[in-house]
Amino acid sequence: MATTPLTLRIARLRSMVGRLGFPWRAAPIPPGVEPPQPTRQLKAEYDTAWARRYPARVVRASLVETVMRFVMSVVASPSREGTDRLSTVDGPVIFVANHHSHADTPLLLTSIPEPWRHRVVVGAAADYFFATRLGSALVALLINAIPIERTKVGRRSANLAADLLDDGWSVLIFPEGGRSPDGWGQPFRGGAAYLAIRCNVPVVPVHIAGTDRILRKGHLLPSRSSTTVTFGDPLLATEGEHARGFASRLEAAVAALGDEAANDWWQARQRAHAGTSPGLTGPDIGAWRRVWALGDRGRRSRRRRVLWPEL
Amino acid sequence: MSNGRHLAPRPGFVLDVDKNSPPIVFHHGEGFRLEKLPAGRSRVIYPAEPLEGLPDPDGAIRHALLNPIGDSDPLPALLRPNMKLTIAFDDISLPLPPMRRPDIRQRVIEAVLDIAAEAGVDDVHLIAALALHRRMTEDELRHAVGDRVYDAFAPKGLLYNHDAEDPDGMVVLGETPHGEAVQFNKRAAESDLVIYVNINLVAMDGGHKSTATGLTGYTSLRHNHNVHTMLNSTSFMDRDKSALHASNWRMGKVLRDAGVKIFQIETTVNNDTFGREGPLSMLQKREWEWSGRDRASFLAMQQGLKVMPTNLKRKAFSTWLAPYEMTSVQAGEVEAVHEVTTANVYRQHLVPVEGQTDILTMGLPYICPYNVNSIMNPILVMCLGLGYFFNLYRGRPLVREGGVVIISHPTPWEFNPVHHPSYIDFFEEVLADTTDPGEIEKKYEKRFAEDEWYIHLYRNSYAYHGVHPFYMWYWGAHALSHVGRVIIVGGDTRAVRRLGFQPASTLADALEMAGDVVGPQPTITHLKNPPLLMADVT
Amino acid sequence: MKALEFHRNIPRFAAARLAGSVTPGGGAGVGPLKLADIDQPAPPGSDWVRVRPRLAGICGSDLATVNGRSARYFEPLVSFPFIPGHEVVGDLDDDTRVVLEPVLGCVSRNITPTCAPCGDGHLGNCEHVTFGDLEPGIQTGSCHDTGGGWSTAFWAHSSQLHTVPDDLSDEAAVIVEPAACGVHAALMANVPEDGTVVVLGSGTLGLLTLAALRAHTNPRTILATARYPEQRHMAATLGADMVAAPDEVRRAVRRMTGSRAVSQAGTQPRSHTHAGSVDRLSGGADVVIDCVGSADSLTDAMAITRPRGRIVLVGMPATVSLELTPLWHRELELVGAYTYGTELLADGTSARTFDLAFDLVRRFDLGNLVSATYPLDRYQDAIQHASSAGGRGAVKIAFDLRDEKERYRQ
Repeated sequence: MATTPLTLRIARLRSMVGRLGFPWRAAPIPPGVEPPQPTRQLKAEYDTAWARRYPARVVRASLVETVMRFVMSVVASPSREGTDRLSTVDGPVIFVANHHSHADTPLLLTSIPEPWRHRVVVGAAADYFFATRLGSALVALLINAIPIERTKVGRRSANLAADLLDDGWSVLIFPEGGRSPDGWGQPFRGGAAYLAIRCNVPVVPVHIAGTDRILRKGHLLPSRSSTTVTFGDPLLATEGEHARGFASRLEAAVAALGDEAANDWWQARQRAHAGTSPGLTGPDIGAWRRVWALGDRGRRSRRRRVLWPEL
Repeated sequence: MSNGRHLAPRPGFVLDVDKNSPPIVFHHGEGFRLEKLPAGRSRVIYPAEPLEGLPDPDGAIRHALLNPIGDSDPLPALLRPNMKLTIAFDDISLPLPPMRRPDIRQRVIEAVLDIAAEAGVDDVHLIAALALHRRMTEDELRHAVGDRVYDAFAPKGLLYNHDAEDPDGMVVLGETPHGEAVQFNKRAAESDLVIYVNINLVAMDGGHKSTATGLTGYTSLRHNHNVHTMLNSTSFMDRDKSALHASNWRMGKVLRDAGVKIFQIETTVNNDTFGREGPLSMLQKREWEWSGRDRASFLAMQQGLKVMPTNLKRKAFSTWLAPYEMTSVQAGEVEAVHEVTTANVYRQHLVPVEGQTDILTMGLPYICPYNVNSIMNPILVMCLGLGYFFNLYRGRPLVREGGVVIISHPTPWEFNPVHHPSYIDFFEEVLADTTDPGEIEKKYEKRFAEDEWYIHLYRNSYAYHGVHPFYMWYWGAHALSHVGRVIIVGGDTRAVRRLGFQPASTLADALEMAGDVVGPQPTITHLKNPPLLMADVT
Repeated sequence: MKALEFHRNIPRFAAARLAGSVTPGGGAGVGPLKLADIDQPAPPGSDWVRVRPRLAGICGSDLATVNGRSARYFEPLVSFPFIPGHEVVGDLDDDTRVVLEPVLGCVSRNITPTCAPCGDGHLGNCEHVTFGDLEPGIQTGSCHDTGGGWSTAFWAHSSQLHTVPDDLSDEAAVIVEPAACGVHAALMANVPEDGTVVVLGSGTLGLLTLAALRAHTNPRTILATARYPEQRHMAATLGADMVAAPDEVRRAVRRMTGSRAVSQAGTQPRSHTHAGSVDRLSGGADVVIDCVGSADSLTDAMAITRPRGRIVLVGMPATVSLELTPLWHRELELVGAYTYGTELLADGTSARTFDLAFDLVRRFDLGNLVSATYPLDRYQDAIQHASSAGGRGAVKIAFDLRDEKERYRQ
């Protein structure tokens, strides 16, 4: 008897498996019965609690301190200012920052000082980051993200964030709701302010400068640029203040920090008090002039390479 | 910041040494010695434990600025656009050792400038009020006022060191009824408001002394930094008994009458010099309360110091930053503010002591107000021991008249030529001739004060003024006239003799030598300082 | 007669140099200097008389020779074997006390006509120094024919002798010759009226120059450097206004003249470009008299003399290595002062240096500078004491020949 060829063996195995029934294989749905829709457990409902347990925290902390820090120092050459303003604050805080690129979050995670450094959760856009299971798991593990809706914070996300704050976790939120489309900022939405008022925690405004040239919206590969992270004085919501008002106060604070980073502290304070800080959202003018004006704010522009004339 | 985490701080007290007492840790420059004091007739004065700092320093500062003491408006009311504002602050000699960031001056100046920004003030100058001390370097200024303020003002030349020898920068505003000329920084004199940011480390600081000494020059200082004044300041840590302060108060009045408006902000710190936890924390603890870890750590430190070369030791000690916390802040009218400040200083420092003894011993640390980031030369050893430490009393000196002071310090014959050039000449020429303060003042002071080269170095380099070593010597004039003999243990013999004192290699030898002056079986007090304390002697 | 003879013996010379560098005065034991019993040489001429030394001093140049440190420059100017010793007070045959002026010029060498310097009385500058009836030798004490002071008898030309007045002791008389060097140096310095003078070194020569400055010049301040406490005391007694240790001289001169200082800022960190160390002065003293003659003292001298000032080099130097840029940059004068001759005083008169020296010795009682005397037999101890004189609190060491039995033999 000749040895049976491999292809014949596989075919026999497959037919044998094909004849298996329940419970080896899922049962077919009977006709006329409506099976219930499976809970997708994605987007805003993704459960990130596992990422805050000890093993995941150890993995994340080591990755942040080694890989992320190294990559940031090479790609972003960050300078960190104003950390001494946090010396009098205890307990969890909410960090709010302006948002230009995906590089903002790793930059902040490697810049936030102790004791908040490894006890921060990042509010990430639910529809963008938590679209797939793999993506959700990665972002939960690497940056300790929780899903937050972009436009209006839903009840589930709000309760989750509030519970985390009560447990001692600090939260990092980008109140603009997304990265800047054209280099200027967008108005701050009220989610962070609302959380701060609800849980009665201070809000630390942070300004990030320079990341817009690293990972621009629409680009895939990062380019090198120098960045500055400036921490501001913690702000508390005043008695009876609404989220909207607090949010515009936060926006002004971050704008003043940006002024401080670009010029000097004294001018920034003077303009902040006079209400003339250059705003984050840029001038209210047409699109090309906005891009034009954006060039004014940056560091010295790259020199044009002079090509030899064609002879 | 850390409230309620520590047990309530205990006050200072006097320990009577008996046979079971452990050897006491003496500071000895960049190092320590363990000395056993004779039982039955010695006592050690221990400083109080550090008070808790204010939990919200920035809030307290803001509160003080908005709620001034004495005849003064709140700060926002004093500021308006188009005014000339000058902010003067204490120099590198305070606090000692330098404190961790953020420095109190940084907090106060940022709070003041924030209010000034709100009021729309544009013309602001910030001056380090250092009188005839050395200029502060960029790093030292950054440490004091913070990077934000430094980067905003220094590049434009609006943050700078006081220059007492600038002929165009100083002006004489008048004379006190005692004929003391009042010379003042011209920019401050012409400002609409002078805000002074003070750190009151000891009871000598603050009050009118901040402005009348800090922003003045030799023309004024010769009237109260002289032998006669110092002999009548018993002591200069006790304002009511101090001729030095009486003169400064007179000068303050002249300033007021000349139209200089001063908003004084004074702060006090606790005496947490070495930290409640950390590598040096055992130096603040009583010897019998040292844990096993403290003892191991101390022994390891002693071994390490034994093998380290001197310049490495100096570098290591100079990197220590004290974790001081602010215990009070008050602002407003000078004299009213200073009363509150003094009460707060006494609250931390005063230790009640009964009676005087025959001998006073003290271990001198590596730092004094005039050698921050520098070398403690023999003249500074005399100033720290016989000037500052001897005068840390209220009531009567700790040692009786004609008694003996024993100092423990290596007293190296070494000078930093950048910081202390005139000290080298003072040591070589003046002390070789005489050590009597009156003689020195008469024969040599004028020449050193007017020497062009010293003035050049003071204005352009980082040197103390030519006359400064004289002031160091006068600071000890009261002690020199009060005690019978001064002995230095463990010091360079030639240097000690040049100072006019006696060298001894161990404390036991020193006590024996002291017996010649005070008789057999003398009583001894040891001043265990730092952390700072002030004896209230009855 | 008994004498210490110095032979030409290269290996011993080298041994002496080696020994001398290890212990001060060590060259005396192993070197070419030997105590010998020799016949009295014949007189070099009819004008020569016999002198029997009473005291013979040990000079710095003698020490340099004995310890193997003298410059090769002098080799053609001496004749071996010679007997050292040129600071001498002795007896003539008729027991008159005389002091020797050891320099040998045209007259002693029986050369006519005399050269111009000898005619002017500057015997030290004689142009016929190795010619004439005598063997080469710049002075008695380095010439074979004459003999020298470190013996019981030698020959001296009548022009070399100065009678000692009765009120001067032997010690005072033996100091006259070095005092003449000091007077010559002080007058050569041309100290301006109300000027500032620095004397480097407080050995015999330094102290005598100091005394001469006080006697013959009128500066505002004289600063002397002295390494040892006894020297400091002597310098202060003989008229120094300020005394400083050698390594403090720059700061001391800065204080004295009130001038500014320049520091070698090369090693300072960026923020401390103006340091307070004094490496040289931008002003300085008017005149600096260097009685040491080493590279260090000359460097100090150039650092502390004011531009267009004058440095007088009195101490005999050997080969020194110097950076001469300061000399060029500050337009300094560097002049040598060698022995003595005839001096032109401020009031226009001229006098023999030796006569001025007698007056100086009498005025300041300089016989006290003789600190110890030794018999010829203990010449090694004597040389050692002289080589370390400063540290041992001594100034001038001399041989005492008054007790030598030899000298009384006819």
